[in-house]
Amino acid sequence: MGRKEYWELGVDIDGDHRMGAWQIKEVVDLTLPPRKTTKERFVTELGEGVKSADVEVKVTYYPSAKHELVIHKEAKKLTF
Amino acid sequence: MKRFIWICALLLATAPLTVYGEFATLDELAKAYSVDTCRTCHAKVHTEWTSSYHSQSVVHSLGGIRNFIVVGLGQEWKKPVNRDNLMRCMACHAPQLAEASEGLATQVADLIIAAVDEKDGKKKDAAKKEIAKLNVNCIVCHNTKIILEKNLKGDPKPNVYYGPTGKSSPAHRSAKSKEIQTALFCGQCHGIYTPPDGDIIQCNTLYGSYQEAYRGNGGAETCQDCHMLAKNRGHKFPGAYEVEIVKEGVDLDVQAAAIKLTPGKWIPTAIVTVSLTNKAGHRIPDG
Repeated sequence: MGRKEYWELGVDIDGDHRMGAWQIKEVVDLTLPPRKTTKERFVTELGEGVKSADVEVKVTYYPSAKHELVIHKEAKKLTF
Repeated sequence: MKRFIWICALLLATAPLTVYGEFATLDELAKAYSVDTCRTCHAKVHTEWTSSYHSQSVVHSLGGIRNFIVVGLGQEWKKPVNRDNLMRCMACHAPQLAEASEGLATQVADLIIAAVDEKDGKKKDAAKKEIAKLNVNCIVCHNTKIILEKNLKGDPKPNVYYGPTGKSSPAHRSAKSKEIQTALFCGQCHGIYTPPDGDIIQCNTLYGSYQEAYRGNGGAETCQDCHMLAKNRGHKFPGAYEVEIVKEGVDLDVQAAAIKLTPGKWIPTAIVTVSLTNKAGHRIPDG
């Protein structure tokens, strides 16, 4: 349905995305800023004749590529 | 009274030493920075620290440090693997390496590489076990890194342990430190970092976000308030890998509306609005 990612993008002097700490000189901030609310809206057409839909929102945090933490999950039911 | 004096003498004799010398073996260096004796009086703190990422500050970051040695020094910069160059990482990951001989620094680099690249599982595990002797421990925070204004205040005094109270101890000399209660103290390593070689890197940028976005927007708590004092988290310093504290840092609100689009066709459509509020003292995610 929809997906939004928040992350910090490290770049070197040339503006190239780099992973090594010794290479990163600036950070392009694509994260959630502190003391702020960030809003995302997802609009999804479900197709003619659909009578109901289950919506699940899952917030997942990845402290590293191999580590996944589901920090929030919320479900809603929509009827048409 | 005689018994009391004897106990004190024993504790002083076994207290960890902040020796400023040059160590030729990893065991000698690890022994000089051993925190086993801290456990005698500070058992709870020691247990908390044991499960913290500070206690794994090298082994948890092996991949990145290995890449710096092999790719950064070896391929990009074409510079020698020596103590000064290793301190670029180790000034935060294991500051005690500053007291290693050049030979030991090279051994440490070899162990880090082996702990990542070694094909033989037993040798790889052995290298990991050995390199785990280096970490950020009691001595590093309560002595080595304690002075934030060295030009003004000089180096930390050897064998003095600095803390928020400066409470005297029969086991070691103590001193009160305001620094250790500040976010800047953590920011030494969890921030924009200037390594000993004078270069600038962005290894961990939390502190910049804390200063500019959190304090700048009215936030007043310190790193210690949330990661240490709240919920008696103590010296475990939970952070990005602990679901509870990450969850605390982000609030979720979901609003979902069912509508029908396009007059005549009336296509069922879901409009879902997701609001995430970052309640932490820094951007999320961050290092």
